[in-house]
Amino acid sequence: MIELKGLTKRYAGKSVVDDISLTLEDGEFGVLIGPSGCGKSTTLKMINRLIPASGGQILLNGDDVADLPVEQLRRRIGYAIQSTGLFPHWDVARNIATVPQLLKWPKSRIDDRVDELMALFHLDPAEFRGKYPHQLSGGQAQRVGVARALAADPEVLLMDEPFGAVDPLTREVLQAEMKRVHQQTGKTIVFVTHDMDEALSLATRIALLNQGRLVQYDRPIELMVEPADDFVREFIGQADLGLKLLSRRWVHQYQREARLQQTETLDSLHAHGWLIDDQGRPSALAGARLDDADAITRVKPEWIATPEMSMKEALSRMVWYRVMVLPVVDDAGKLIGEVGMQGVMGMQDEPEGALS
Amino acid sequence: MSKVDTRSDRALRTSSRPIVGNRVLLTLLIIALASVAFLPFATLSPNRLVSGQAVMLWQACRPWQWIALAALGALLLVSAAGRPLAARPACRVALLTSLPLIALLLISLGDYAHRALSDASPAARVSQSASFWVLLFVGALVAVDALQRLRLGLVPRLGFALVAVVLVAVCLASDLLSGLSIMREFANQRANFLDQLVRHLVLVAGALIPALLVGLPLGLLARRREAWRSGLFSVLNVFQTLPSIAVFGLLIAPLAALARAVPWLAELGIGGIGLAPAIIALVIYSLLPIVRNTYAGLAGVPAGTLEAARGMGMTPTQILWRVEVPLALPVILSGLRIVTVQAIGLAVVAALIGAGGFGAFIFQGLGQYAIDLVLLGAIPTIVMAVIADFILQILVSLSRPAGTR
Repeated sequence: MIELKGLTKRYAGKSVVDDISLTLEDGEFGVLIGPSGCGKSTTLKMINRLIPASGGQILLNGDDVADLPVEQLRRRIGYAIQSTGLFPHWDVARNIATVPQLLKWPKSRIDDRVDELMALFHLDPAEFRGKYPHQLSGGQAQRVGVARALAADPEVLLMDEPFGAVDPLTREVLQAEMKRVHQQTGKTIVFVTHDMDEALSLATRIALLNQGRLVQYDRPIELMVEPADDFVREFIGQADLGLKLLSRRWVHQYQREARLQQTETLDSLHAHGWLIDDQGRPSALAGARLDDADAITRVKPEWIATPEMSMKEALSRMVWYRVMVLPVVDDAGKLIGEVGMQGVMGMQDEPEGALS
Repeated sequence: MSKVDTRSDRALRTSSRPIVGNRVLLTLLIIALASVAFLPFATLSPNRLVSGQAVMLWQACRPWQWIALAALGALLLVSAAGRPLAARPACRVALLTSLPLIALLLISLGDYAHRALSDASPAARVSQSASFWVLLFVGALVAVDALQRLRLGLVPRLGFALVAVVLVAVCLASDLLSGLSIMREFANQRANFLDQLVRHLVLVAGALIPALLVGLPLGLLARRREAWRSGLFSVLNVFQTLPSIAVFGLLIAPLAALARAVPWLAELGIGGIGLAPAIIALVIYSLLPIVRNTYAGLAGVPAGTLEAARGMGMTPTQILWRVEVPLALPVILSGLRIVTVQAIGLAVVAALIGAGGFGAFIFQGLGQYAIDLVLLGAIPTIVMAVIADFILQILVSLSRPAGTR
């Protein structure tokens, strides 16, 4: 648990961080967001004392960080940055092992931990252990950077715009991976970004800062539905607010039963049904095509939705592939339901029910 | 270089290689041929002071030496051509030809000296002359060019250098060259030569060790206190611009006064002339490159790497030794390389204020107008600088972290 109490930073009399108080519970994914110069990075760096605070207090699981020896404090906190900051003269394994080595773990424990972390980030130890940072792609280097930050199982993970410098495609993959790692490890994370979509897709709590002050600290949905003032409304952006809302809603919330049918003919006009193969996987869709409502269509792999997929993504696929419904499958690929255009509209009327 | 390589690679595939495969080698051969035709290979003089009569290569060589030299030249010509050899085999031939060429030059010269002196007066001298030097440098450059084109690893390069050194050492140690004027000067100075070699090494080491002890911390200071940096570098820059002879001269008065005022310093051998002022001057000249490269090496460590190191809880000492020093080491050693070669050269001038070293032979030879005595000081100085440069170059490439090599 991290508590900021009246946290303030002044440079030459000017406050860049002004009296910020907030509490982040264990296991939360907190995102600090705001325009350039709003003090979000400064706030983050005051937590591990890379920047000394001018006033106020930071409590890490009840300990005032100002009272702890600074190196000891930092070894309790993971730290990942945009430029990765990997040591160019050390290979991947040694980079990941940095903090455990500082903590003088036995070698076998370090080796096991390195392998465990590489597996967590889908980096094959046999291939990547001995590679040097300059041999990695941007995405791989960033994964190693985050793995290194997690190495000593820190109480908190601080991330300073970690995905700001990678290409949009890699960023999406890394965001999905970060979400998965957060779910698997249950780490408390403080994450700085200026990208609202990134914040909405990752955060469980968002702190919106402006000119050093905390404007609103809330769950993502509440930030969208109940913005504190015009600044919040403007910063989130009104044009695609509906889509942003859907980015925080999941297919399983909208999922309904799928109607199966045996033959490749439509039972009734304007209805649709699914054909499944002998393993229960969706194989074809009868009806529900935008261009040809009566057609029977093979199910394409790109159509398939999972319960954890965001509704924004599901909707995007429906629009792109011109189908009114998507099959929802479980981990084994079995058809467990469907999600459709009508469902999207249905939930829109009752936003309270969708708060996550 | 790489352009030539890719061109000959492509030529290999299309089997239409250009006529000239290695222009550098061809140029060297033309230079060698011209020097043989127009420049004397050796001189024969009645005594060590008067200038002698020129002897061309074909007058100095026996028939078999002639034929062997011509054969080696022909081999080089073949490897310079684009056909029939491909680029890499041609380079290998050139590399393997260079050492026998150098050996043959030494043998021919030494042999000629013995023959020419056997029926001359005891005071007569035989000296190497222009074309010998040209051919020797051509031989060395052929080897360097081939080594670069082959891009060999560290071990083969070291091995080749070792073979070359052993070859020259054997020629020098044997009776082969004993007829040459420069070797006679060496024989006269034999005991003295070793003394001066040691003196020279003492001067260089005496300059480098304090320069490192002062320069490395100053470089670190310049990095840590950016405010002090410009002031520090201005002072060191001024030192660097002072003419060396002026510094040696300027130090005489204060050090002499100091030695008079503090007798125990005089007993230690510190005075206006001798080792002390020479070493002080050399240290002053060595400081700037060491400080500058230490600073540049440390400043070259990426800011993100340092931030991550701090953020993960490394202490300042751990950051210095585990991150900054390993990453800065190649640049720091490059500075040491510059300084070492510079100090070996500058130590020659120190002979002027009685500090000894190879400079003693040079100034003695200049005074007597005995060119071979000058060379007895100059050649070992050059050899020492080349060896030091080679060793430090290897250290620099070894110090480059595996990840950035």
